[in-house]
Amino acid sequence: MNSLGNVLKKSQIFKGLESGDLDMVMPLFHERILHTGDVLTASGDSAQFFFLLGKGTLLLAMDGGKAVVLDSAGDFAAMELMSREGVYTTSVTALEDGVAWAVPREAFFDFIRQDTPAAAEIMAAWQIFLDAKAGFAKVIADIDAPVIS
Amino acid sequence: MYGLEAINANNGWAISAVGITIVFSGLVSLSLLISQLHKAVDLFENPHKIKAWFAGKPDAKVSESPVMVLREDQKEVVRQYALLARTMDDHFSLPRLLHLARVSGLKDPCAHLNLLLKSGIVTPDGEGYFCWDENQFNQTISY
Repeated sequence: MNSLGNVLKKSQIFKGLESGDLDMVMPLFHERILHTGDVLTASGDSAQFFFLLGKGTLLLAMDGGKAVVLDSAGDFAAMELMSREGVYTTSVTALEDGVAWAVPREAFFDFIRQDTPAAAEIMAAWQIFLDAKAGFAKVIADIDAPVIS
Repeated sequence: MYGLEAINANNGWAISAVGITIVFSGLVSLSLLISQLHKAVDLFENPHKIKAWFAGKPDAKVSESPVMVLREDQKEVVRQYALLARTMDDHFSLPRLLHLARVSGLKDPCAHLNLLLKSGIVTPDGEGYFCWDENQFNQTISY
């Protein structure tokens, strides 16, 4: 089964975390069932959530016509791939039925802004993931974004 | 004995040539070293890149993707997608292709776009755009 715990352990971003850190991260995620054609985010909207893919395929359509397809359990649609300064720059569409876990953007940023080994591990893994999946999108634009109230 | 005569008599020209060569080689080596210094600094600032080297290379890409077996109705939609793709550049925008499929009234555009991706007919170019693999398309349609 693709439970959240299993997906986090498979995820290139989160698999390096200690079990105690995973226990802290897991409550941030909320399951979202995907149906083919569902639009999860629209470019220009306030960025509220990032998405961890459990099952299915997501099309991330970026401003300017570029796109990324995420189709592996544990792929993470977040940060530069999704938003800039608190606004979505990417429209996410489900290309098939599946499941994703939504994590509030601010809660995720609060976690990775901490001066902890877990936060450093996530950021290092994120850079590797981004290099592999979408090196062209590697612009540090959202990490110091102001807090959206 | 003075001047050029003395230089000739004591192998002065050869010694000068060797000296110049040594100095020039040293300067070239130094400039090459300095020109590559940014890579060492980059590794120092991003140690995860070193980790990535040892993380193992991704599986070698198979020379030919396996052909996905499609139903006749799926093949028909894929052919319609092919017509749309031919109106676009070699490296095209995937969201644009999906938009064209929607406005053209293609059946289940999202599901069939996913089929194109899974069958290897549409592949990412690594720069955010996608390519249409004509060989894979022909094999899939004729299978």
